[in-house]
Amino acid sequence: MTAPWRRSPKRAASGEGPWAWLAAGSVAASLALLALLLGLLAVRGLGHFWPADVAVVTLDDGRQLAGREVKEVPLSDGDGRERLYRTGNRDLDDAIWAWVDLDEIHEVDHPSGLVVLERRRWGEFIGRLEAIETESGERIVGESTWLALERRLTALAAHRDSIDVLRDQTIRPLVHRLEAGEATLGEREALAKAQARVHERQAAMPADTLVLETVDGRRLRQPLTEVVRALRPNAMGVTEKVVTWGRDVWRFLSEGPRAANTAGGVWPAIFGTILMVVLMSIFVTPFGVLAAVYLNEVAHQGRLTRWVRIGVRNLAGVPSIVYGVFGLGVFVYGIGGHLDDWFFASSLPSPTFGTGGLLWASLTLALLTLPVVIVATEEGLARIPESQREGALALGATRLEMLTRVVLPMATPAMLTGVILAVARAAGEVAPLMLVGVAKLAPQVPLDGEFPFLHLERKFMHLGYHIFDAAFHGGDVQAAMPLIYATALLLVLVILVLNLTAIFLRHHLRSRHGTLPKY
Amino acid sequence: MQHTPSSPPLRRHFRQTRDRLATALITAGGIGVIAAVMAIGVFLAVEVVPLFWSSTDTPRINLETLWLPQDYEGHRTPVHRWQPAMPEEGGESRFGMLPLVWGTLEAAAWALVIAVPLALGAAAHSALFMSRRLRARLKPTLELMEAMPGVVVGFVAGLVLAPWLDVHLALGMTLLIILPPGLLLAGGLWARLGAGLRRRLPMGWAALWLLPWLLLLWGLSSWLAPLLEAWWFDGDLRAWLEVSLGLDYANRNAIIVGMAMGFAVMPSIYALAEDALSGVPKSLVEGAEALGATRWQTLWKVVLPAAGPGVLSAVMIGAGRAVGETMIVLMASGNTALMTASPLDGLRSMAASIAIELPEAAPGGTHYRLLLLAALLLFVFTFCVNTLAEVVRSRLRRRYHRMGGAS
Amino acid sequence: MPSVIRQRLWAALLVVASIVWASPVSAEEPVGTLGTVGSDTMAGLMLRWGERLARQHPGMRLQLQASGSASAPPALTAGTTLVGPMSRPMAEDEKAMFERRYGYPPRALVVARDALVVVVHRHNPLRSLSRPDLDAIFSDGRRCGAGDSIERWSSLIEGGIEGRIAPHGRNAVSGTHELFRREALCDGAFRPEVSEHPGSAAVVAAVASDPRAIGYAGLNHLTPGVHPVALRDADGALHRPEPAAVRRGDYPFARDLRLYVNLPPGESLPGGERAFVDLVLSPEGQSIVEELGFVALPREVLERQRRRLGLEALDS
Repeated sequence: MTAPWRRSPKRAASGEGPWAWLAAGSVAASLALLALLLGLLAVRGLGHFWPADVAVVTLDDGRQLAGREVKEVPLSDGDGRERLYRTGNRDLDDAIWAWVDLDEIHEVDHPSGLVVLERRRWGEFIGRLEAIETESGERIVGESTWLALERRLTALAAHRDSIDVLRDQTIRPLVHRLEAGEATLGEREALAKAQARVHERQAAMPADTLVLETVDGRRLRQPLTEVVRALRPNAMGVTEKVVTWGRDVWRFLSEGPRAANTAGGVWPAIFGTILMVVLMSIFVTPFGVLAAVYLNEVAHQGRLTRWVRIGVRNLAGVPSIVYGVFGLGVFVYGIGGHLDDWFFASSLPSPTFGTGGLLWASLTLALLTLPVVIVATEEGLARIPESQREGALALGATRLEMLTRVVLPMATPAMLTGVILAVARAAGEVAPLMLVGVAKLAPQVPLDGEFPFLHLERKFMHLGYHIFDAAFHGGDVQAAMPLIYATALLLVLVILVLNLTAIFLRHHLRSRHGTLPKY
Repeated sequence: MQHTPSSPPLRRHFRQTRDRLATALITAGGIGVIAAVMAIGVFLAVEVVPLFWSSTDTPRINLETLWLPQDYEGHRTPVHRWQPAMPEEGGESRFGMLPLVWGTLEAAAWALVIAVPLALGAAAHSALFMSRRLRARLKPTLELMEAMPGVVVGFVAGLVLAPWLDVHLALGMTLLIILPPGLLLAGGLWARLGAGLRRRLPMGWAALWLLPWLLLLWGLSSWLAPLLEAWWFDGDLRAWLEVSLGLDYANRNAIIVGMAMGFAVMPSIYALAEDALSGVPKSLVEGAEALGATRWQTLWKVVLPAAGPGVLSAVMIGAGRAVGETMIVLMASGNTALMTASPLDGLRSMAASIAIELPEAAPGGTHYRLLLLAALLLFVFTFCVNTLAEVVRSRLRRRYHRMGGAS
Repeated sequence: MPSVIRQRLWAALLVVASIVWASPVSAEEPVGTLGTVGSDTMAGLMLRWGERLARQHPGMRLQLQASGSASAPPALTAGTTLVGPMSRPMAEDEKAMFERRYGYPPRALVVARDALVVVVHRHNPLRSLSRPDLDAIFSDGRRCGAGDSIERWSSLIEGGIEGRIAPHGRNAVSGTHELFRREALCDGAFRPEVSEHPGSAAVVAAVASDPRAIGYAGLNHLTPGVHPVALRDADGALHRPEPAAVRRGDYPFARDLRLYVNLPPGESLPGGERAFVDLVLSPEGQSIVEELGFVALPREVLERQRRRLGLEALDS
């Protein structure tokens, strides 16, 4: 495929005229765009987890506010700029943002005493920690307050963990048995005891109250049990910040979403994406290989087969949304509706399989990626020298034996490439999923300990749809932006890795087949 | 040749039966899979047909109401409207599909306006000038660009690029004006460089060492933009556009969609066009070079005419992708079913309409079938365009083959 | 013979099981899974209430399927759920379907209020709009009595802002779109120039980035990037979209968010549902409503609904 004329380096390119430079520029511009996009995602996506300093802004009229700088835009009348601060304190201010005109700023300061509390209710608090009032009425003030708070939060976390363990490992299974009507008296007693223990633990949590003060002097009494985490970003060193950053990235990857998808992590979406893609590969691989083997090895190589081949190739160019429509019409309403009539009539009119779900989504995407697998496998099959087949047949193998023992093993890398490319394509597709079963919130992952363990009819979360949902449906787009960036970065990384694997495999495959003896 | 003396006849018989059975299975399976895939078109057609002959209970649907302007409340002249989801008590539903088709084609057209020059320029450069090592790296890189999920590109276009352009419209325009002459200037300067420096910055690696130059041009533009805006546009480009050209700048518009979608389709056009260009038989090229043509002249006079159909088919495949792209249009276009030629207005495409309206449309209803009609149109359009492109490509391959090419 | 024994054994087991099931273990502490099907506007609310519930009663769990208000009535009728959140009142035919099966209508509980707010960019000087003007900005047919479409800011206010009005709204299948069309457009149709966004948050984000934009969104989506616009009556009275006004019922574009429950007349709710409703109609549940930006109910409404359900009165 290499153009032969490029092997004439002696020719000077200086006389090529203007067009050559525009052509070079378009490559550079494309690369720049790609780099810009990836850079934007990486910086914003990863930067979100960085515990940035909190600024205290004093305005000309004496008002004060504390927050993290988010962005700066020119004022709409053209003179001056304004800056957006994320100030938290939703319970006090009714909003977590504040726009500030740069001209009105008198002073910006970063005092090290500012605390950022992450709370279960009302989001972040940004301000000063004045004191801790213990249950016994004792009041901790001064230098030791922060240390006392950290100690209490650690104890609180231990309490919460033990309650979670109790809930997940003791209470849930017992409740499950009770619901199924299988619980014995002993188990019911155990359940009551476990519940009592949870309440005991809850009561044993430190019932201290934090006395907080915002930078403009409003007081707030915050029950400690609602506080999840406390940071003093302005007092943190770089190492400490890096550690916090790493922990936050991990939390993003391993936790579920909170606050209607605008906070928390994306674990269910990662899980849903992977599960869907795995199911899809299970569907698409055998059928794709079957069709490719038929087209390449069995079918009569005439005009008709050529047209079919072109047709299949073209289906790879049909818009994904069309596949989604097909999935909705045929799988969901057609097949799913009938399945419901036959097997789940008791729960009608609310549908079981007659609505979008994991099964239909992965089937639709399998259909969508079928051409990719067929084309890749066919390429692999076509590259196997005819001599190999003839040799096998000459040694007395039947066609089936020739296929399974000689041809398919040789074509395995090609198939693998096809499947990986299919997976990479499927992982990034969102439009068809919107029609056949993705959900904005599916707290229950489709794989769990309840029989039959894999719930094909359930809706699932998906990284790509999570981006769309958070960008348009969430409560506050501005608040969700950093998470969208992070999710987008994650999705792009997953797809990059998959594609790189496919490229590597293909390269490997080419070089291997290059050494095959040719007769 | 089937005969192997070592195996007893019974076993051989079993093996042959098994073989025949397997072949039959493969044939059945293969045909089945292919039929299932092809069934998409059939399904859509079957679902759409009742739209036209069972329209007694539903609002009137015929070719006229779909494609011609209609009289609606509040308008003196007939207009096109797409408002299919009105409840019965809320007045008539309006089924003018033309705005959707218009929006789809407009978005695709702007995507091609952005993508084709970039892709063909890049293809020409990498086929003609680029060093082989760089080219081996560049192709997979651009393939990765192709794999960029639409939802990510759409997000960046709708929530990052659109607000940015809203504020920095003048800078965007200045960039557009400055980039081409800036690149030519780079060429001019390069030709005047000393031979040593020129060897250090070879043409084959121009794609990389031009990157800092682009950054420089960006800096220049952001310095020039306010000045330009003040000199030519009375300090406010948007107001100037409105007053002197009558163009209103919508916050999400066809240009933004075009830029985002151009980014998305550019790699596939590039890959196919590059294949076509570098597949031209070397005898042709060598002939031209022997006659003293520069490489660019060779490209223009010899390679392009030979590879023209291949390049055309690359553009067609790009068009097919742009027409069906859903998430980018959905997130970056504002979804206004307008029929204006202004690139600064919003638009609404068929694919985006399907994506947001179909889940809520009652199956079997008029709205549902109309959206399926849109899907059918998309299917037929892309299928035809792709088939045409494929036929052109296979012709071209055969032609190269005849000419003794190394393709 | 063994089959007879087995049958008896099964019967005995069943009896035991049903006794176990019906026995009042839930009187002390409700356990189990509470399945709910319905509105996606209320998904956040339901989730937060569910989290609270699980903290109060460790054996309880809320299972949420938020695929739109329309999915609640079928699920209630089918008995797959006893609690269905809806952001609009149940339609007559949906109610009839339920009544045909059970012989009594589903019980509606108002749990929060929501309102639609017209918003403009934070630097836009527009502070109030008359109803016909609003209609003239957004509608195609102008059913509310305005003469002509209003397309430029200059014909709406003097000074401060120039250029074409860029209207933004929700997509056609949403409840928000429907409510605004019914209330603000007098059942008319939207102009095609109205950008249709797939979510309220996107509307607010679009308006916040364009000084010439105007849009409508749910009260809970307001941010400081946009400015709410008051509605002006014909006699000049202003309706500001403030929580207090919405709570009083003074603000026109308001809607109730409801839970529909399957409750036979004269009976009380089973343990799990009872605990959930008890939480929702308590000050704690209502503070979650406020936290999510919706409007909490006045105390007397809470008390009235609690009395009707036989829940104990709130202590003051």
